[in-house]
Order: sequence, then structure tokens, then C-alpha cells
Amino acid sequence: MRWIRATLGMVTALALAAGAHDAHAVDKKFKIFLSMSYIGNDWQAEAANMVKAMAASKDYRGKVDLQVQVAGPNAQRQIQQINAMVQQGAQAIVVYPISPTALNQVVRNACQRHVVIIAYDAEITEPCAYNVHIDQPEAGRVTAEWLAQKLNGKGNIVVLTGVPGTSVDTQRTAAAKEVFAKHPGMHIVAEGVGMWSQAVARTEITKILTTHPWNEIDGFWVQVGCYTIASMAKEAGIPDDKLKPCAGEGANGHRIQMLPVNDTGVKGANATYRPMGEASISYASPPYSGGLALKLAVDKLEGKEIPKLTKLPLPVVTSETVKLCQEGTWAEMQAGCNVFQPSIISNPGWFASIYSPETPEIGSQAALNGKPEQ
Amino acid sequence: MTSTTIGATARRSLWRPRWGRQRGLVVACAVFLALFLAVDLITPGPFNYFEFSFLSAGGAALALAAMGQTLVILTGGFDLSTGAVVSLVNVVVASVMGASVSSQVGSFGVALATGGLVGAFNGFFVVVVRMQAIVVTLSAMFIVQGVTLLVMDKPGGTIAPEFVSFFTGSAIPNWLPAPVVVVLVAAGAWLLLKNTRFGVGLYSVGSDADAAYAAGVPVRRVVFAAYVLAGSFYGAAGAFVSAQTGSADPLVGRPMLLQVFIAVVLGGTRLGGGRGGAMGSIVGAYTLMIVVNILLVLNVSAYFSSIAEGSILLLAVLVASLNHQSPIAFYLRLLRTKLAARAVDALASGLPPGAPMPPLSARPTARVAGAMATSWFTRNQPALRMILPAYAGFVIVLVVSQLLFGGTLDNPGYYNALLVLSSFLAILALGQGAVILTGGLDLSVPWMIGFVGILTSGLIHGAGQVATWVIPLGLLIGVALGILNGIGVVLLGLPPIVMTLAMNGILQGAALLYCNGTPAGYSSPAQRWFMTGHLVGLTPVVWFLFLFITAAMLLLGQTVFGRNLYAVGNSPLVARLSAVRVGATLIGVYALSGFCSALVGILLSGFSGQASLGMGDEYLLPSIAVVVVGGTLITGGQGHYLGMLGGVLLLTALSTLLAGTTLPDATRDIIFGLVVLSAVLALRERRI
Repeated sequence: MRWIRATLGMVTALALAAGAHDAHAVDKKFKIFLSMSYIGNDWQAEAANMVKAMAASKDYRGKVDLQVQVAGPNAQRQIQQINAMVQQGAQAIVVYPISPTALNQVVRNACQRHVVIIAYDAEITEPCAYNVHIDQPEAGRVTAEWLAQKLNGKGNIVVLTGVPGTSVDTQRTAAAKEVFAKHPGMHIVAEGVGMWSQAVARTEITKILTTHPWNEIDGFWVQVGCYTIASMAKEAGIPDDKLKPCAGEGANGHRIQMLPVNDTGVKGANATYRPMGEASISYASPPYSGGLALKLAVDKLEGKEIPKLTKLPLPVVTSETVKLCQEGTWAEMQAGCNVFQPSIISNPGWFASIYSPETPEIGSQAALNGKPEQ
Repeated sequence: MTSTTIGATARRSLWRPRWGRQRGLVVACAVFLALFLAVDLITPGPFNYFEFSFLSAGGAALALAAMGQTLVILTGGFDLSTGAVVSLVNVVVASVMGASVSSQVGSFGVALATGGLVGAFNGFFVVVVRMQAIVVTLSAMFIVQGVTLLVMDKPGGTIAPEFVSFFTGSAIPNWLPAPVVVVLVAAGAWLLLKNTRFGVGLYSVGSDADAAYAAGVPVRRVVFAAYVLAGSFYGAAGAFVSAQTGSADPLVGRPMLLQVFIAVVLGGTRLGGGRGGAMGSIVGAYTLMIVVNILLVLNVSAYFSSIAEGSILLLAVLVASLNHQSPIAFYLRLLRTKLAARAVDALASGLPPGAPMPPLSARPTARVAGAMATSWFTRNQPALRMILPAYAGFVIVLVVSQLLFGGTLDNPGYYNALLVLSSFLAILALGQGAVILTGGLDLSVPWMIGFVGILTSGLIHGAGQVATWVIPLGLLIGVALGILNGIGVVLLGLPPIVMTLAMNGILQGAALLYCNGTPAGYSSPAQRWFMTGHLVGLTPVVWFLFLFITAAMLLLGQTVFGRNLYAVGNSPLVARLSAVRVGATLIGVYALSGFCSALVGILLSGFSGQASLGMGDEYLLPSIAVVVVGGTLITGGQGHYLGMLGGVLLLTALSTLLAGTTLPDATRDIIFGLVVLSAVLALRERRI
């Protein structure tokens, strides 16, 4: 029992020390929390960096006291976390919701206590919450239509979905399948479960290729995976001009591959992370949404009215509109570039859709290192 | 879990047995109270009714599910279907519930019945068909996940507001929150159960099923009832989640699975059966949930949160396990004895060379004539019965693939791709399998893969020369981290699932800190060639896989280490008395698992060209599944690497087959579950 008492004392003392440290730091700033679900993937880490950068930017660092917390993949814990944030005196909570429905009760409670709840990327269906996201069915529809047009309405396609059972995946895939159903010549020959992960996309496509070889496939409609597919085609010895059209999300590697083969401005290209002139459409659920959500939360706390749903314009880049950024500053992106130098972004799975006219505070350095533009 | 028995001593006073039995629960309560007080002291303002209400609701679902799991674990079983059942009940409740009160009451009944039904399915296959609990519940998990997606393919639905407030509102306004009542009712039910003949049976079956049978305990009925009741507890948890969220989500329960196990272990219940209780699991569940508040009040930053959580978990269990009977005390005593022996020069090694040794029984030098006469099949029948089902299933999947797509059976490319894909799991199966053979479980696989993959790719950055020292370094790091796991398990006496899960969290944090959220760098060209190039008709890794399989079989079958490993798995005590160095063997096993995970991390980054966060996430459950589908006993001591390999081939071929189709996800899950179940079932019944 001595052990227990000693440890108990230690824990309490430690906790007290840490608590006292914070207690005086907060003055007139808005107390805002970020409740993330999971941090162990590229998209989440990038979005978190952008929120942090927004809070550290010139206009906001004096206004916002931001605390970032991770709930893990379990909805129960996010419920507990949001409750605890409310108890801690949160004025606003920016949330990446694990589930669109599971948080409804706790969000309603928070709203009753006048806490602004704003969800980014995914959705919270409770009416008192604010939402910032793209139109998921539109993402499925636009990309499927592009593929149908590219293939003249006929051909065998391979589909790679996200995480089954989520609203985002179900809506995107259903919308895309609706489009394909309108073209009797288009056949989905195989459907892999991609889990929104580069690594999983690789194994799933390898599996599909064992039963449906390259020459039987005319195109791909995927969520995460176009970069991987083009890389695998290279390993199979398929030349650049014979790459199959691919509709997928906006990984930087994918967009680099969409640049014309003779593009000499690309620095730091490596193996399959290079221009290939691939016919592609790249859409995205942009990771700046968290930063924008923080901005809207501050607007709301300052008394401005903000819409319940901020529907982000769907970022769409095709082989015709893809344009290389040199530095990746916000100003440069405003001028229309949408893919970044491999020498700056060495991870091809990094999400490149980070430009919004609404967020001049954050550019590529924000997404990479959490550093604001100014 | 095996090593804790080592420290048992005969010294007992009169009061100790009673305290000993309650010890787990008391310590769990103390840990919870300490954490709770810490949160309360730091949080500004007094602890009010709202906080009480939130806290009580937050852990209730986990507590109910953990209580159910406790019942199964007490019988010596293992239930992987927990999270899936919670999801299923959630979507079923949302689908059947109407606005009327009677329909709401009815849907609670449906919730308990649905859970009980899945429990009965598990119980039937465990008790009547006598299959391993982990295989049965693994298949049940997949089947239930599939059925859940059939009921509802995305989040939605609504739960009547009366149902919500009945479970999550106030039982007595401003005094008693309803979730407290829910948990108290469940606790009351458990206490009643525990004091019936069923309760006595539960503990006796878990302690020693044969002794219980001999003493007249209806073993089969008790085990079956435990699964059904466990299912009903999951059903209650599902109903509570429905009320708590006011809606349904087909994925809501899945991440609860690991947490449920940790809650049970935190509550002082021993995996393997016979000791512990559901009261502790309730406390364990609330302890896990309050960690969220701790992280918040301490303002632990995002990248550090999994590290902090892992450390809190370790500390909590460590505090609970420290006493003069704990392994660390035992090893300290051992060290003291050894030093004392050295001081008086009485060590065995100090004996003169000619000293008389105890006589050893003569080894049979030649095989007896009678044994020669029995056929190879008869001699190897038990091993074959474990190994063959997976291969039979594999062949069937191959034939089905041929029938569906054509051009697979006679296509070398198909086998090549299959073996490349199998290589990851085949390697992990050796590490995970070795750990399972000793009665443990390695949950640190996902981020061991991720951490080593990210670290090596980051250092290599596409440069071949650097890779020559980075790859061995990566493997060494895997071994070192594995040794840390082993030390935690052996010297500190931590339950393997706690130690390795905490390690997983710490490595996740370390990976994020190392790459600052964005993994940079590529694998070397040699690594990429190894995974995707060609060498004499096959991908190089396939040749490597053949070597690896040979080495693995030699390691487990022909070496002293291999034999020690089986000895420890069968009985640590007997192994110790047979002069097997139990601690060293266990540490070696975790080191092996760390090595295998690190190797997979390096191969995977070669396969993908770079490492990514979460690249190992999809390998934890499969690494366990292939081991048990291959006939390994989860309780340790029995299993063969060839069987695990069969499991790898079966599951890889099956998922390859399914990926080539356009079947809905729900159907795939159900098929996956049924194949796992029937593969193990088919040949178990009919003796070869």
C-alpha cells in the first residue's frame, strides 16, 4: 500500500504542477479546443498542422488560446472529451467528428451551454452544430462523370472505396455508381476496400491485378490510390502514354504524375514521383477545412453570423489545369498553382488541396510544419 | 500472464487469502480514485452534478461491455465479437424502435436478445463443437460486422427521446444520474450471478475445467451460459450507446474491442480464467475513460497524447501489481540469493568438474521397432489435424478463384503475387505466433511496423548506400523495442496485452514526433526491387520468403530456443523446474516479434516506395487471425509454423478473391467469417 500512496501523491503533485502552470496564461483570449479523432494518418496530421498554424497566425495569435486534443478512433472517448472541454470552460470546440451521429447528444448539451461547436471535413448531424465540408456526393459524381467521358461511356473499371460504413465513403461511392449506371457500356469489374490509405491501396490493387490483369482494365475510380496505381503500372513496364485514366483524391504525388512528361521545372523528382502526363482528375476533401473552421469559430465568438453549413467548393484539378507551385506560398496558390515541388514535399501521399481564398494565413508551410504565412 | 505465477510463494497468513482475492479490485479502485482526484483538483470549480452525470455516462457503455467480456475471460475464453455486437445492437435498436413506450421497452428487450443470440452462436461452437474461443469469436466478429452493414450501411436513424433520457438523464433530478443506476443494476446482476451455483461454476471452470468437471460442475452448461450472458451484456452496452448517441452508426463499437480488454485487465481479472471479477472491470472502464480528462487538464499536446496514455496505462497496472510477490520482487530475491551464494562460493558453477551429477535417464538412441511400424500419418496425426484445415481451405479458395475468374490455377503470376502479399503476414505470423505460443499477445505490431518503416525511409531518403546500415539498424531497433516489451512482461510482470498496447501507443507518438506529422523520404531502389522486381521468374521477396519459412521452421522445431518456447507455453512452472530459463525465453520471444514487425516495416516501405502513417494498422488483427486459424492454441504451448503459414495463405487468397469481385462489403465480411469458421470446423470434426 505504501507504493500506492506514494504514486498517488506523485500523480497529484505532477498534475497540480502542470495545472498551475496553465492557470494564469489565459487572459482575454477565446478559449478554443480542437478535438481530433485520430492522428495516425497523413490527412489528419496535415489538417491538425493547418489548424495550429491558423491559431499562430498574426491576426489570431492574440485572440485565440487553442488546445489540441486527440480522442483516438473511439466515439465514446470523443464524447467524453467534448464534455470535459465544456467543463473546462471552452467557448468554442472545433471537432473532427468520428461519427456524424454519435456526438449529437453531447453537442446538444454543449450548445445549451452556449459553446460553439464547429465540425470540419466530416459532418455532425445535430442541427445546432456548424459544419465545414465539401459536398461528398458531388465529389463522387463529378469524378465519375469525368471518367465516363474519358472512356466514351464504355469500358471495364476498377473501384477502390474508403472505409465502409462511413457516410463520406457511402455517399461518394453511391453517387459515382449512379453515374456509371447511366452508361450501360461501363462495367465495374472489381471493387477493393482502400481504407483511405496508400499502403492499403497498394495491397488491394495488387490483389485485384491477380484476377484482372492490366489489359482488362480501362480505368480506375478510387478515393486514395491514383499515385500508387500509376507507380504500379510503371513497375509492370507500362509506358507513360499507356497509363489508364484514374479519378482519385488529391495526393501531391498524383498531381505531379499528371504534369506533362517533358515538364522540366520539377525539382526533386524520384522514381515514380515524377511527371508522367497521366490523364487524371484529382479532387479533394481539403485539409484547410480545420483552419477555416477555427476562423469561423472566432467570427462567431466575435458576434458575427456564420452559416450553419459552409459548403467548401470542390477542388478539382485535371491534367489540363494542373500547375506547379515553386514555393507553395498562399499568394502563389492564389495565382492558380495546385501542385508542389517534390523537393519541398517529399511525401507523395501529402494532400495538395490546401488553397482557399478564405485562408490567406496558411500555405504549404502551415500544412507541413504548422507555420503560418505571417 | 504466464510469468506472474512464477513469484508465488508458500508464505501465507490467515488474512491474506481473503485480501488477495479482493486485491485486484481494491487496487483498481485506488488507481481510479487517484486519477479522479487529480482531475478534480486541477479542474477549476467544484465537482458538480453535471460533471458527475457526464462522467458516469461516459464510461457506462465500456463498463457494460467489459463486464460481459469478464464473464467469458473468467471461463478461460476470449471474445473478439464484443465491439461488433455493440454496433449491431446499436443499428438494430435504431431500426426497430418506434415512438410508443411499449416499442421502446421492446427494443431494449431486442437489444439484450440480439446480444444473447450472438453469444449463443459463440457458445454453441465453443461448447458443442469444441472449437477455440478466439477462432469462433473472430468469425462471429466478421459475420456480425457484415450483418450490421446489411442493417444500416451508414450512420443514421433516431432513437426516441424518452429512451435517451431514461438511460442518460437523471434518475433523481440533480442527485442521481441514470447511467449510475444502469451500472449499479448491472453490478447487482453480476453480484447475484456470482453467488449462484453458476457463479461458483464460472470460477471453477476457469481455474481448472477438468477439476470442475470431476467435482460435478456442469462445465458445458456453465461455459455456454457465460457466452450468452456476455452477449446480453454487450446488448445492454449497445442499448446504452444508442441512448447516449441518440442515433446509430455501424462502426461505433469496433474501436471498443481493445479498450474492453484493457478495462478487464485493469480491473484485476486475469486472462486465462479463474481470477478476477466484473466489479473490477467497471472500475477499469471508468479509469480508461478518465484518462481522456487527464490528458485534457494536463494539456498534453496531440503528438504526445498516445505516449502519455501508454505511460498512464503502464503506471496504473504497475502500481496494481507491485507487492512482495510480484515478479520484480522475486527477481530481486533471486539476485540476492545468487549474490549470497557467490559470497560463500556455493554456486553450482563453482563445483569441481568431477562432482557427482544427478543421473539422467538414458536417451533412446535408436527408435523402438514398434514405433517404426506405425505410419507417418499416425505419428503426426495431432499436428496434421491442426495444420491441414487451413491448407484445405486454401485449396478450396484457389479452386473457387479459378472457377470465378479463370486463369489463376495455371498462372505463375497469380502465385507470385499471392506470395508477395503473403510475405508480410508470414513474417508477422512467426513473431506473433511465437508470442502466442508462450500464452501472450503482441499488440505493438501496428506501430512497430509504422515506426521502423517511417524511421528507416526517413533516414534512407532513396539513397542505396545509406540503406546498407539503416536497414540493419531498423531491425536492431525492432529487436531492442521487443526486448523492452519482454522486460515489461517478465521483470515487471505486466500483462502482455497491457505492455504491448502501451508500447504501441508510445511508438505511435514517437513516429509522429520524428516525422512531425508528415513522413518524408523513400525506401532505397534495392528495397523497391526486392518487393516489386524480378529474379529468376519470381519477385525477389518470394525467394526470401522460402528462406524465411525454412528458417522459421528450424527455429521453432529444431533449436533449443524453439523447444524452450513450447515448454514455457505449456507450463511456465514445469519449464522452470526443468531448468528452462523462462524469463530469457519470454524476452527472446518478444524480441523475435519486434524483429519480425521491423522487417515487415522495412519490406512494406519497399513495397509502397515510402512509409506512411498508419501503414501497420491493417496488420494487427490478421496477424492474430492467421496464427489461430493455423491451429495454434491462444492459451499457448501448441501450434506449428506450417499451420500459421496455411492460415496466411488461406486468408490472403480469400481476400484476393474477394477484392476481385464487386460484392458489397457486408457480404464480404460475412463470407470471410464463414470461411474462417468452416475451415477450422471442417477437419476438426472428421478425424483424418
